[in-house]
Amino acid sequence: MNYDNATLIDRLAAEHVLGTLRGSARRRFERLCETNARVLGAVQRWEDDFGALTKSVAPVQPSPRVWQGITARLFAGSAPAVERVRRRRGWEFAVAAGLVAVGLLVSVFVRQPTEALQTLAVLGADTAHPVWRIERGKQVSALTIDVVGAVERQPGKSYELWALPRGGSPVSLGLLPRDGTLRRTLNEQQRAALLAADKVAVSIEPERGSPTGSPTGPVILVASVSLSG
Amino acid sequence: MSRSREHIQLIDPRMSRVPRTTDVPAGEPDSGELEALLARCAAGEAAALEKLYARVAPILLGVLMRMVRRRDVAEDVLQDVFVKVWQQAGQYDRIRGRPLAWLVSIARYRAIDLQRSGRPVIALTEKQLESEPSLQLPDPNDDAAALGLGAALLRCFEEIAVPQRRCLVLAYREGLTHAEISRAVGEPLGTVKSWVRRSLVSLRRCIES
Repeated sequence: MNYDNATLIDRLAAEHVLGTLRGSARRRFERLCETNARVLGAVQRWEDDFGALTKSVAPVQPSPRVWQGITARLFAGSAPAVERVRRRRGWEFAVAAGLVAVGLLVSVFVRQPTEALQTLAVLGADTAHPVWRIERGKQVSALTIDVVGAVERQPGKSYELWALPRGGSPVSLGLLPRDGTLRRTLNEQQRAALLAADKVAVSIEPERGSPTGSPTGPVILVASVSLSG
Repeated sequence: MSRSREHIQLIDPRMSRVPRTTDVPAGEPDSGELEALLARCAAGEAAALEKLYARVAPILLGVLMRMVRRRDVAEDVLQDVFVKVWQQAGQYDRIRGRPLAWLVSIARYRAIDLQRSGRPVIALTEKQLESEPSLQLPDPNDDAAALGLGAALLRCFEEIAVPQRRCLVLAYREGLTHAEISRAVGEPLGTVKSWVRRSLVSLRRCIES
């Protein structure tokens, strides 16, 4: 193909920008853009002209997971280790079978000494789809819970976070948010339970949380936590 | 357990948090502002990427949603776009002076690269084409500013017959290939290709005149 032909270059540039130049022709043309300033100039002119057409497109708010994914790919110094969750038969509450097929999750041991907050746990169906990031302050007196993925909404239900202290009963750390960021101050009982815990869990509960103070619904996630490190 | 009222408060944005894209001013971002942010990204300033994201991510996602139709796919592409913008911010050519067009192009090309051939396209009747809001063509009697189109482009679009104009919009804004446009508008592939080709030639001639 004769790329010296100005008219041809301009038409190919236009079809490249329009998106109708596809396949191997598109790739050839892209390589040409990298080496030929005149071709690149033609492309940029069309990009500017057609760019006006996008102004009438309605903006769409991205879900939080997009930004979380970007920072994880670009800036994460250390990602949380992942472990496969093992069901624990010895719990004082039963895992309702078959309700939610979630198996994987998360653990924590991540220390970020330069930040006031340290990651306590990242909870999700699997590592590729984190839903909540839970951070704690140094004194473990407050938790910051970020929704970093899509929370599946179940009418009349909510997700409740539990500390599982070694040798003790689960203690509620409150309901998990469906969106945004929640900062929750822990009371002394919650703080003590969390400090003694090696796991946290999430159960599905009535909208206002467990009416009994213990998990009543299916446990969908369990994650290891380490507060000693 | 405690049932005390939950204390909900918004936390200041940091790198680990989601930029509050809803808090940015409405309308198209100022080119100077975007250029400054790109320059800071090129210098490795992560906070600038966060600001850039807050400013343009909803615009880019709107564009991507039109092209790929699925939110999850569009959001994956958006993520790729910002990773690329961070890595290539230094390549933005300030002389161009149209940073948003540059960003939109990165997003659109990524979406085009990911499109698989043979995806189903619903044939649209003439009536559906006319009533689909996203495909509405600029009305020359409307205020150009309200339509969000540059005056030159609007004027030049007017000179192209409606069916041909529609092909350009389907390609650019909906991300359709020649074959898909052909199915959507019910015209032979050869006709669509030559319509597009001729429309582009007259557009260029018009814009430069």
